[in-house]
Amino acid sequence: MIAYKFLRRDGSSVFTGFRWPLPEGAPGAWVDAPVDPCRSGIHACRPAGLPYWLGRSLYEAELAGDIVEERTKLVASRARLLRPVSAWNDSLRDEYTRMCADRAHALAASPPLGQWDAVIEPSVPEGPALLGFVAARIAEERHGAEGYRDERARQTAWLVERLGLQDDTAS
Amino acid sequence: MAEHVTCQEVVELVTDYLEHALPADEAALFEQHINFCDGCEWYLEQMRTTVAAVGRIEEEDVPPETREKLLAAFRDWKRA
Repeated sequence: MIAYKFLRRDGSSVFTGFRWPLPEGAPGAWVDAPVDPCRSGIHACRPAGLPYWLGRSLYEAELAGDIVEERTKLVASRARLLRPVSAWNDSLRDEYTRMCADRAHALAASPPLGQWDAVIEPSVPEGPALLGFVAARIAEERHGAEGYRDERARQTAWLVERLGLQDDTAS
Repeated sequence: MAEHVTCQEVVELVTDYLEHALPADEAALFEQHINFCDGCEWYLEQMRTTVAAVGRIEEEDVPPETREKLLAAFRDWKRA
């Protein structure tokens, strides 16, 4: 199964610090870990999970062995990194952050949600993961949980298009 | 099911998270929050460091007089 995984700039895992064997012209080495969601196993996501896990570097990964699918992520017993998704660079990160900020302003505009609008621009330097949340949170204020999920789906669509990924949200 | 957790909830859940006691869906929401909130990420790291340092101390390692002082302090704290 093909999935996506965000890592720190140095190729380490965001939550465990594990140093991944990076692909260099060929896929990286396989990594094994028994599956126990959020405790053990290799965590990655489908395109629909990307907005929830945005990080510095993005890789396409191949998952194998036992695979557990959760709401926003996949947990596998075996995986390797196939290639960096080079389209996810600083420029696109900034573009995504701005898109989310503009969406957040639009959602907060009418009728005005002044206290929400005020947090948007100061949050921009914190980057894309926070701005994606802020936009979705304002959508939730407007339209409830469905608004939150719809905004996340909108963010997914933006990322899938810009990153040239296959949209598997219907599967 | 909730779509997200707040900073306050992160503070309440952090011990369970570090002890792997959260259900998978709650742990995922916790990590999503940590992923975008620098303040909570810093708090989690502080807690991890504290647990790593203090978690090595066994009950019998605490001298009796220190133990009494701590118990007294906690009793007073609860009354306050």
